[in-house]
Amino acid sequence: MDFKHYLHVLKENTPYDFSNYSDNSIKRRLQKVIADNGLTADQLLEKTQCDKVFVEGLVEQITVNTTELFRDPELWPAYYDKLYPALKAKKSFNIWHAGCSTGMEVYSNMIILNELGLLDKARIYATDISNNMVRQCQKGSYRYAFNKQQLDNFAAVIKKAPINGVSRIDFAKYFDIDEQEDRLQVKDFLRKKVQVKRHDLVKEQMPFYNKFDVIFCRNVLIYFNAALQSKVYQVFHKQLFPKGMMILGNHESLTGFYKTKFSKNGAVYAKSNAFQFQYQ
Amino acid sequence: MIRRKYKAVVIGGSAGSFSVVSKMLSQLREDFPLPIIICLHRLKHIRSGLVESIRLKSKLDVIEPDDKQQIVAGKVYLAPSNYHLFVEYDGSFSLSTEKPLNHSRPSIDHTLSSAAYVYRNKLIGIVLTGANKDGAKGMKDIADKKGITIIQDPKTCEVDTMPKSVARLITPDYVYSPDEIVNYLNHLVG
Repeated sequence: MDFKHYLHVLKENTPYDFSNYSDNSIKRRLQKVIADNGLTADQLLEKTQCDKVFVEGLVEQITVNTTELFRDPELWPAYYDKLYPALKAKKSFNIWHAGCSTGMEVYSNMIILNELGLLDKARIYATDISNNMVRQCQKGSYRYAFNKQQLDNFAAVIKKAPINGVSRIDFAKYFDIDEQEDRLQVKDFLRKKVQVKRHDLVKEQMPFYNKFDVIFCRNVLIYFNAALQSKVYQVFHKQLFPKGMMILGNHESLTGFYKTKFSKNGAVYAKSNAFQFQYQ
Repeated sequence: MIRRKYKAVVIGGSAGSFSVVSKMLSQLREDFPLPIIICLHRLKHIRSGLVESIRLKSKLDVIEPDDKQQIVAGKVYLAPSNYHLFVEYDGSFSLSTEKPLNHSRPSIDHTLSSAAYVYRNKLIGIVLTGANKDGAKGMKDIADKKGITIIQDPKTCEVDTMPKSVARLITPDYVYSPDEIVNYLNHLVG
């Protein structure tokens, strides 16, 4: 199976362009799709060209939707060292979760904002390439047993490292917990506050008109090749207010030109124009 | 003396492997000429601290790589917690948070297989002590590409499931104790 050819066919016949995903990763994902669906290369090509429902499912299987409540718990106090003073000083602020997956990070962040007394000033936006993820993010319904560990981990972390004085969170304020049904349901006052939209970082114009104070995009760009990563960083840079902040995954770092356009402060990248190059 | 013809060493290990890796890195020569890529399973609730502990005894620089970081000879790379670590064709790493493989993220199979495809017969794959079968398929890929395969001698393992799973799939080139592995690696260059 010629993956480059397949990605070209996908790009020409559907709204999805994965041709600048990193080679190894897209190849591995496609091999898995072929194996999981018991398809031949020809059948895959045919279905891709004429079966819209199949293509939606394919996007689901190609993209990686791993997320956790309070993922990397020890990093949140570090983020808020930088975010809290900046956000507190504003009358209102906008936060964008780019590649929000099932929304667990969106709600984690909103919980912290609420504990810090900042939620009322926040406008929260979330986007994902997959329609199904958009629905799941809006729904905010998760498995309880599986996710409880994450809440416990985070509780242990902020006990030792309070976020601006917050050392304990009563999670019952934010979730309806049904142990028998194994459900962890995000409460409506959080759910209804997020604007969730389907958006493809690779291809589409911004779905929102406003600029942002903070962009979360953690472990999304690792699936793109370096050139496409740069393109997305350019969009983020443009969409951030001056001194706006970008939060990446634990093991992502800026390389090349955009390294000079953000100043790294621990895990937080702040937009900076201090060192401008002129490219003609 | 073996002439240097390899491009990388890749090591996988699980239960009991931390002390083995630690000891190996303290005994490897300072001018070791290849990159060493290590994928160790971690306990889920203890995600940090591994790289710091390994660094303590290592003579070589130990790094938890970022996505797209270039692979450099003489450095030791440790798969970061909660990410799969892959070698890419352009000689860089890529990270992924795909589902755990063999109940593990990082998964040794992912790291070993991706390295096998990139370095082919210029790769040395080593599987150490461990309690599951992660790494066996990766070692088979290395063997299929005519790379060198080494397993830790089961007699010297805290848990021998992992090297034995490799030996069920392929006949490894060498079955070595940790000291013999170090000795082999230190003699890769004259």
